[in-house]
This record gives sequence, C-alpha cells and structure tokens, in this order.
Amino acid sequence: MNMDEELQDARLRELARLLGSGAAERLDVERTAQAVVTRLRERPRVTLTGWVWMQPAWLKIAAVIALVLGAGVVTRVLLRERIPSALVAPLGEDLTDLTSDQLRETVGALEQPFADESPGALDAGLESLNTIELRALLRTLES
Amino acid sequence: MPQAQSVAAADAVLIAAWQGGDEQAAAELVRRHARALARFLAAAGAPEADLDDLVQETFIRAFRAVGRFRGQCQFRTWLLTIGGNVLKDAARRFQQVRVVPLDDDLRSRDGDPHETAVAGEAEGRLREGLERLPHMQREVFLLRAQQGLEYEEIAAALGTSPGAARVHYHHAVKRLKESLQ
Repeated sequence: MNMDEELQDARLRELARLLGSGAAERLDVERTAQAVVTRLRERPRVTLTGWVWMQPAWLKIAAVIALVLGAGVVTRVLLRERIPSALVAPLGEDLTDLTSDQLRETVGALEQPFADESPGALDAGLESLNTIELRALLRTLES
Repeated sequence: MPQAQSVAAADAVLIAAWQGGDEQAAAELVRRHARALARFLAAAGAPEADLDDLVQETFIRAFRAVGRFRGQCQFRTWLLTIGGNVLKDAARRFQQVRVVPLDDDLRSRDGDPHETAVAGEAEGRLREGLERLPHMQREVFLLRAQQGLEYEEIAAALGTSPGAARVHYHHAVKRLKESLQ
C-alpha cells in the first residue's frame, strides 16, 4: 500500500468516525431510555409458544407436513374408489363355492379398473374359459 | 482490551438483571449504548427525524431476544447488528432512507469554514457511497471504520468468518474511495 492509499484510508476512517456524530449527540438519551422501559412494560414479552410459531421456518415445515398428509389422504381415497367393491367379498370366500357365472363376474370386476386402458381385451377371452380355468385365473390374480 | 472486558462484564450483569425483571437495568443499558447506536444508524442512512424511534425499536427487539445473546461478541456489537436489521426493515417500509442533511452535522463542527465545507462535501459523498453499498458491506465497514471493531468481533456478530468480514470491508473501502474521488 503506498502513501496515497494510506492517507486515503485514514481519511476514510476519519470521515466514517464523524458520520452521524452530530445526530447522535442531539439524541435525548434519558428520554429514550424511559421510552424504551415504558414500551417494554406496555408490550409484554411474547410467550415461548408464540415465539416458536412466529418463526417462518416452523411455519414452512408445518405447511409441508400438512401438504404431505393431505396428498396422502387424497391418494388413498382415490385408490379406494378405483377398486370395485365386488372384489372384496368373492376373493375372501372359497372359490369352489362359486358358479361359472359368478366366477366370470368376479374376474370381470377384477378387470374393471384396467378396462379404460384396454377395452374389451379380457372379455373376449373369459367367454371361452371353463370353470377350472376361471378358478386357476382367479387364484393367479389373488396371489 | 481490559476496558472492553470490563464493559462486557458490566453489560452481562445488567442483562442478567433485566432478565430477572429489573426495568432499571434495561434503562441503564440504553444509557450506555444509545449514542453509539444512534451514530451507527445515522451513518447507515437513518433520517434524524426517525433516529429516536429506530433506537427505541432496536432496544426493544434486543431486550426481547436477549435470551439468544450468548456473549459471542460484545452486547454493543450485537445491538448494532440488530439496529442494522431494524433500519433495513424501516427502509423497506418507507421505501426511502434519507440521510441526515449535511448542514446538520456541519453546524456542530468548529474550525475553519472552508475546511468545514470541504469536509462536509466529502462526508456527503461518503454517505451517498454508503447508501449504494450492499447491506453486509455497509455494516462491516461501519463496524470496522466507525466503531473500531476487530474482524473477529464483527464476524461473530454477523455470523460470518473473519476472512469474509475482511473481504467485505475491502470491497466497501474500494467502492467508497471511488465515491470520494
């Protein structure tokens, strides 16, 4: 650092030291002190719970948890709606008790959620299956 | 440094007393640090008309958050950084932070009128330069050049490293020198 730079630095520091000194001198410190005490008295301290919930980080975390939980509930409800109620009962029972028509109906119901994607793909095949083949198919689907 | 240590010790006693509910301890802390804080805020761009309010607000915030002050730096340094944030919030609210008019400071200075005028002009440029600095550079510069603090102390108060504080200071000085030329 050359002499000019040192002088400039010293001048800068000197100017910085002077900045605001006039305004600070004119501040009525005693009045300010009393005003602060009065305001502290008027506005009681925030409770711990209040402080915690005032923090933006906590609010963000709470919002993310709420979103995740909400999305989970909605997904669960949508998935349940897509599974036909006809599935629940027949698959729980012994397949040997079912007639061919009941088996076809059950397999058809199983196929229903996917029907939109491949319309009629399985219907044609089911007609040609006998009772034993239908039972085998159902067991495969069950497993 | 022994003086700084005794100041810190006295502050610590007053802080503990305030935490125990002693309002007069809070008032004493205001008396001890209000002028330094006012000088810092005025240099950072606080209008004189709002100075008292800004000083009060800074102390209120500091007293409310004093539980988080762990003595990582001096109470005054910590207070000044809170003041910087209070000023930043105020500037955002009012969308303008005007500096103390030059004549205000000139009025309080004795000496040769020509020298005073020249110094006043330089001060004005310095203020304008400070206003244009990024928040961090301005704070580091004022803490170092105006308040005479060490980089370690500044870094502890601002939650950065002494090296980074040094870099901020040098960037600030470079830009301020340009403003003064």
